[in-house]
Amino acid sequence: MSVVLRTQLVGVAKRPSRLLLTGLAVLVASFVVYATVLAQQITERSVLNGLSGTPETVDLVVQNGEITTGDLTAIGKMPGVAEAAVRTEAYARTPAGDLIVATDPGSGPLSTVEVTEGRFPTAPGEIAVTPRTVERMGLGIGATTAAQPAEGKPVPLTVVGVLTPREDIGFLAYAPLSTVVQINGFDQLDRVDVRFDGGADAGAVRERIVAQVAGEAAPEVAGGAEVRLSEAREAAAEIDQLFIVVRVFVAVAVAAAVLIAASTFRIVFAQRMRQLALLRAVGAGRGALARALAAEGALTGLVAGVTGVLAALAVGHLIPPLLSAFGVAVSRPGFPLVQAAGTVLLAVLITIVAVLAPALSAARVAPLEALRSAATTGARQGIGVLRAITGLLLAAAAAGIAALVTINLPGPQEQDYDAETMMLAVVGSGLLAYLALIALGPVLVRPVLTIAGWPLRRSGPVGRLAVGGVGGSSRRAAAVSVVVALGVTLIAGVLVGGDSIRVLSERETVAAAPTDFEVRGPNGSTLPAGVAERAAQSADLSRVATYRWIGGAQVGTFTEAAVTDVSAKAVPRLAELDTSAGALTDVAPGRAAIAGYVAEMDGLTLGDPVTVRSNGKEVRVTIAAVLGGEAPLHSQILLDPADLTALGVAAAPTGLLADAAQSGEDGRTKGLRALRTVAAAQPDLGVNVLADQRDQITEALGVLMVIALALIGLTVLIAIVGVGSTTALSVVERVRESGLLRAVGMSRGALHGMLTTESALYGVIGAVLGLLLGVPYAWLAVSAIGLEAPLTLPGWQLAAVFGILVALTALAGVLPARRAARVSPVTALGAD
Amino acid sequence: MQTQSSPVAGRDSLAAVAAVDLVKVYGAGDTAVRALDGVTVGFERGRFTAIMGPSGSGKSTLMHCLAGLDTATSGQVLLGGTDLTSQPDRVLTRARRERIGFVFQSFNLLPQLTAAANITLPLDLAGRKPDAEFHDRLITTLGLAGRLGHLPAELSGGQQQRVALARALVSRPEVVFADEPTGNLDSRSGAEVLGLLRDSAHDLGQTIVMVTHDPVAAAYADRVVLLADGQLAGEIHAPDVAAVTESLRNLAAGR
Repeated sequence: MSVVLRTQLVGVAKRPSRLLLTGLAVLVASFVVYATVLAQQITERSVLNGLSGTPETVDLVVQNGEITTGDLTAIGKMPGVAEAAVRTEAYARTPAGDLIVATDPGSGPLSTVEVTEGRFPTAPGEIAVTPRTVERMGLGIGATTAAQPAEGKPVPLTVVGVLTPREDIGFLAYAPLSTVVQINGFDQLDRVDVRFDGGADAGAVRERIVAQVAGEAAPEVAGGAEVRLSEAREAAAEIDQLFIVVRVFVAVAVAAAVLIAASTFRIVFAQRMRQLALLRAVGAGRGALARALAAEGALTGLVAGVTGVLAALAVGHLIPPLLSAFGVAVSRPGFPLVQAAGTVLLAVLITIVAVLAPALSAARVAPLEALRSAATTGARQGIGVLRAITGLLLAAAAAGIAALVTINLPGPQEQDYDAETMMLAVVGSGLLAYLALIALGPVLVRPVLTIAGWPLRRSGPVGRLAVGGVGGSSRRAAAVSVVVALGVTLIAGVLVGGDSIRVLSERETVAAAPTDFEVRGPNGSTLPAGVAERAAQSADLSRVATYRWIGGAQVGTFTEAAVTDVSAKAVPRLAELDTSAGALTDVAPGRAAIAGYVAEMDGLTLGDPVTVRSNGKEVRVTIAAVLGGEAPLHSQILLDPADLTALGVAAAPTGLLADAAQSGEDGRTKGLRALRTVAAAQPDLGVNVLADQRDQITEALGVLMVIALALIGLTVLIAIVGVGSTTALSVVERVRESGLLRAVGMSRGALHGMLTTESALYGVIGAVLGLLLGVPYAWLAVSAIGLEAPLTLPGWQLAAVFGILVALTALAGVLPARRAARVSPVTALGAD
Repeated sequence: MQTQSSPVAGRDSLAAVAAVDLVKVYGAGDTAVRALDGVTVGFERGRFTAIMGPSGSGKSTLMHCLAGLDTATSGQVLLGGTDLTSQPDRVLTRARRERIGFVFQSFNLLPQLTAAANITLPLDLAGRKPDAEFHDRLITTLGLAGRLGHLPAELSGGQQQRVALARALVSRPEVVFADEPTGNLDSRSGAEVLGLLRDSAHDLGQTIVMVTHDPVAAAYADRVVLLADGQLAGEIHAPDVAAVTESLRNLAAGR
């Protein structure tokens, strides 16, 4: 070991806390990386165990081809076959609503259902239903109904049992095969599961089955284990995709760790400038010095990486027992050694990358520095010409790509739009802009500080000193702030994007599902007389409104348009539809609300006249409102009833909208039953539960937002660690300065306040830069995705993010600041 | 002209700051070091006093205790009649801010503040405005008029120390403590700074206490207090270089 390296390592051994501080960002990064590996293992193992629909006892599966009842009987009788279970289903229309009728052995190793009440159906016409079907469709044991096949007479059905399947969709029944075939009207089976005898020759049985089903559209014959695996893979594919997104964010977190580590190394080496200069003065070569510093960095990476991996392993193995205590069963992650070694290697690599630039610049120290004792080695200001040019080029490239995207933004209802390429371009431009931010950071810190620091500077000497302290070392401030900015950019992007998508989905749900229920006749036929009146009288329904809806009309130059007269006064939720001009309640005789893209296509605005034609008649109306998306009930224009009548549309309503009188699942079931009763006499009336659709959309969106924010939280965590360690190091570095301030009469509290304010300022600068970058890029991405989502600014959420991040960065500075304030001024002034 | 110090000097009403039977012990047990061993000394108002002694004589410790930067183990520090010993940090901080000025060997200017901001720093911390006339006079006297907008890194050593001197003087403190103020300066700049210290005592009536080991620097003072092994070892009034060198040699020989 060279003397130079030994000197450095002895220094490290003397102050292990410094090693920890420099390595903290790397430690968190390796923790995150390895935790992701473990999380994926836990999830995949749990999913593989639980998500395949095929029972483990199945030896062979025959599916995807022509299979008949004859084949099933033949397979069942083959030597070596213990059991052959058919899985097929029919889609039945019944007076109580649509029903899926499926088959199952009902008992035995191949069964996937469990009878909880009554018995499994055996005779033709008998069915067993799921619990939710009992609730939703009112089919308790003993109830009778009839399924209408495509052709022929209705098939009478009697409920003889209740059973639990793997997944209860709410309109599911099980029946003997003969009944299912009768409803289907053809002898075609979806799939046969085969179980072998104990001593059967698997190959021979398989050959016999293949020979049996051979033909033009022969089905596949596959092993049970094989099918199970591919089913689980399919279920896990979504999870794999999710983890691809997770990995992208982990990569961002690792990049943030590199930035933080580089800036901490820079500070650590700056502290040792005198010692390094001394080594140079007594004859240490530049190369030797740089190598020693890089080796120290690698050691830091190794220690941090191992610690991070061990911490992740501990947490990963703690979670399954913890969750099982709460009744959630998940698999243990195991010990993926290769990935562990990879993570440690990654930690060492990123630390070396981080340490390289600071080590090289530190090794360039002039030997004379050792002889200077004055503590006025002021922090370097500004950036070099090369860095400035690089930054400007990056910024120009980012702006160029952004401009290209803006020019090529999709028009209304544009076909063949390539959203993927555009999104990639937006991401690429964002990346370049961020790199430009890193390069130009020290220059950008000043103006932001001037504005953000203004109230602080007015607040008194402590605020003034804090602003001066941050501004006085703009490179350090920039190094910390860009990492905070990265976190804020991502969060702001997700929030703005999420808010736009929320408004979009709200618009779509309100336009498509303005009420809990909808009753409609087939193909635009009118509702039978009395249905609306009976619905209005039901205690389980409220806000019952009828409407008329016609297709095939022409609005301006827009052909094949749909026109409706649903009243915004009768359906209050319609008022939530976003308009770009006017309000939906302004619709009156002669005044209409038009879909945004129809207005845009004809260049129409508020107050313009537009002609609506249908069946040779036409009306001219004035535009009273322009909607953000389409008009209610998937129509292009909303007319007053009088105008629709003028188009020659009969007065009888084509549909009915209603809300459940009570909220919750219970009220919804009651309302649905009431509507089914009202419509009972006309089996061709469709009753749709729009509320269910709405819930699904909202829930899916909420889950996505939570996942996205949790991932970004990781980046923010690293940013906070970065601010904390940078503040800690800058406090150590400036202990002399602190001593002087205490000597000339700054109180402990004020010094504490000043240092905390400084780290809060890093947060403010980072958050401002992050918002300036994040919000425009989120808007660009929302526009480029081609969903015609509105651009929104979730002000309160962004303000909260801003506040929380500044508070967190201030918090990160509290401990180091307290430590600095405790040091006695004499010690501080004597410090080297 | 060597005379014995009078213990009465400590309670002399002329004393701006005084130490009475001051003891400072570092460490404990076998490794305990008595840096100050019963020092009683007073520093007259409006005069320039130098504290001298060989390395390890306790001169820096004495200054730190007198300035409220460090706390004594026993004894008293009287600043204009106020006992600084056993005061909480809050009171010491206030005393340092309003009643004491400092000049350090290594200047200790804040690198991110301009010369002007460094000068007014203690006043800023106290929330006071400088006396404009006095401020301008100081700047002119110290020859800093053209340098106020500069950062410390853009100033020479002598200029930096003059900024530090201005910072110590501008609030007109009761005492200015100077710790080896010429240690980092070449002899010409050093002479300039020492001349300025003497002038501020004589012309402005500023009490100045300077710690030094350089007989040339001590010769600028009105009086030299000699310290050896943590105890008072005599004093010289109206010193010259020869007398100071002679006394130091005697001290070294007497050990």
